[in-house]
Amino acid sequence: MPRTIARIVWAAVALGAALSLGVVAQNQGESVNSTWLVIAAVCTYLIGYRFYAGFIAAKVMALDDRRATPSERLRDGHDFEPTNKWIVFGHHFAAIAGPGPLVGPTLAAQFGYLPGFLWIVVGCVLGGAVQDFVVLFCSIRRDGKSLGQMAREEIGKVGGFTALITVLLIMVILLAVIGLVVVNTLKGSPWGTFTIAATIPTAIFMGLYLRFWRPGKVLEASLIGFVLIMAGIFGGQMVSESPTLAPWFTFSGLTLCFALIIYGFFASALPVWLLLAPRDYLSTFVKLGVVVMLGVGIVFLRPELQMPPFTRFVDGTGPIFAGKIFPFCFITIACGAVSGFHALISSGTTPKLLARERNARGVGYGSMLLESFVAVMALVAAASLQPGVFFAVNSPAGIVGTTPAAAVATITNWGFPVSTTEMATLAQGVGEQSLFYRTGGAPSLALGMARIFVQTGGGQAFMAFWYHFAIMFEVLFILTTLDAGTRVGRFMLQDLLGHVSPKLGQTSWMPGMLATSAVVVAAWGYFLYQGVLDPLGGINSLWPLFGIANQLLAAVALCVGTTILIKMHGSKYMWITCAPLVWLVVVCFTAGWQKIFSPLPALGFLAQADLLAAGPQGPTTAALVFNARLDAAVTGVFLFLVALILIDSIRVWAGILGGSRPRTTTETPFIPTKLAEEL
Amino acid sequence: MSYLRNLAKIVRGILDELADQNAYRRFLDAHGRTHSPEAWRQFQDEHWQAKSRRGRCC
Repeated sequence: MPRTIARIVWAAVALGAALSLGVVAQNQGESVNSTWLVIAAVCTYLIGYRFYAGFIAAKVMALDDRRATPSERLRDGHDFEPTNKWIVFGHHFAAIAGPGPLVGPTLAAQFGYLPGFLWIVVGCVLGGAVQDFVVLFCSIRRDGKSLGQMAREEIGKVGGFTALITVLLIMVILLAVIGLVVVNTLKGSPWGTFTIAATIPTAIFMGLYLRFWRPGKVLEASLIGFVLIMAGIFGGQMVSESPTLAPWFTFSGLTLCFALIIYGFFASALPVWLLLAPRDYLSTFVKLGVVVMLGVGIVFLRPELQMPPFTRFVDGTGPIFAGKIFPFCFITIACGAVSGFHALISSGTTPKLLARERNARGVGYGSMLLESFVAVMALVAAASLQPGVFFAVNSPAGIVGTTPAAAVATITNWGFPVSTTEMATLAQGVGEQSLFYRTGGAPSLALGMARIFVQTGGGQAFMAFWYHFAIMFEVLFILTTLDAGTRVGRFMLQDLLGHVSPKLGQTSWMPGMLATSAVVVAAWGYFLYQGVLDPLGGINSLWPLFGIANQLLAAVALCVGTTILIKMHGSKYMWITCAPLVWLVVVCFTAGWQKIFSPLPALGFLAQADLLAAGPQGPTTAALVFNARLDAAVTGVFLFLVALILIDSIRVWAGILGGSRPRTTTETPFIPTKLAEEL
Repeated sequence: MSYLRNLAKIVRGILDELADQNAYRRFLDAHGRTHSPEAWRQFQDEHWQAKSRRGRCC
């Protein structure tokens, strides 16, 4: 494109971003169309990708296509294989897309749509995408090494070990919180429970099909699996309408909690080909399909946002989770803007597949932009609900009142009108007995998604189907993370215990495998159990804990990135990773401090424990007091571990910049590529 | 037309990658084998042994 035309086009994109952001930000008192959010997000992503990522790629990383990547130099036909950039992009995006960007923005909508939207877009362009890109680049230049290995080699042993422990702890909290989302989605819902229960025999059938009947036919088996889970949705409807069968699939939160714990244990202990692998294939295809459907639906239907730009809950009195807009909006959005877990993927399979260095920009930075766009779509789906309905679905009984009448009165008093008739009609329309107190974000997101899907196919008559389709998608997705996460946690624990007793480190030794599976399941199961018992709904405690942990892992990744940039260029470009690092550290430590020490019982764990201990003693009071203190301790451990890495990193940076420490880096030397052409 | 063909090729490539078909082809090449139920089962065991050790995103 001639230079002048290119300048005009980019000026138009910049103008589009500014104009749309202006409309979104200035709109007060009337609903705004989601098109403005989509245009603002896409134009900002384009500017970020073209100019900021382009600058980092050219000036800071000096990406060089003449340099052989690990996929070429270490090609082994297994992990290392030069692969087409679009295929790597698809692989990387499927790997980084988890339930977080769907749930986080939905929960953060309690502050209004604007703060969450701005953080999702700006946080991604300046923080999350930069982190993913930098870690991917660092790993490519270091033979595809993992984040933990790079932390150990570039910062020191303390950093490496701390990163490992941090990941294990985060995994436990992550599994508990997503388990809680499942429990709150399925409690009292025979339709949803049957649909999800049906995915287990479906996955096992697919496993057997792939293992014995049609080995290797993954797409074929996935198609059959998809047909079966769709049949499961229709079966769920019949079950929910049957007076005999419905009670068999109607469970309390506590029963579902134990069912999930037992399921998690078996999912971790069973052969991987029987349950985990087929579920993983199915979940990946359904996930990508639904994300595309949602994107197309929002772009073509352009729903109006009913939620105001800001709600009264920016002051910290929100019913879904306590805490002011700063820092809790940023903690809650989590993976939609910045995700520490992406650093594990960017330093996992992806660097071993990239054929050209310059593809790292599209894969590392570009995939995160797409993930951020998924978060924007989730926010749009949630914010297109009536605010009264949104809060009625997401608020716990402990805050809004234990009867529907009390709940609607409280929510209407907040300025978000809603009636019991409206909620009953809505519940009936989606085939549920009640939609009150379904904390966790998944049901309200499913409602928003169903409203969008229903306009694209079937009309109102299909509202119940689309709602349960969305529930199936979310829970299938979450259960796959739960299965796989438990297994990963078990392997990490076995690796750690292997240093103490080599036998325990053997993954093929059955007693060790069962014992470590039980330990990991018990760890996340305990937090899940306390979340179910929590009178404030559990999400109020666990989601911020998960958000803090995830953002702290991002801080670890940015410490590694900053160390490497300092070794490459001195202080010249360290601001690229240091700026988001400083922001994350301030946000996480403020949030962590408030979660531990705030005198407000709804916010501070210790204040909550003191209040419970001083109040009337019921059968679960002692457990609730202990849980609140345990949550405070876990938050403290997270902060301590990351402070340790941070201090260690600053010591290394000061040494290098002051000249007392050599700029030794583990970057592999330049070897020219022999790959003749683009794959 | 060639643009659509390329697009279809990319979509197919991504589906194959997500369905582990590319990895399986590499496995067969590396071991000098052809597709068989035994080869698939061996691939599945080795591949998922490594895959299920990797961190999962949230």
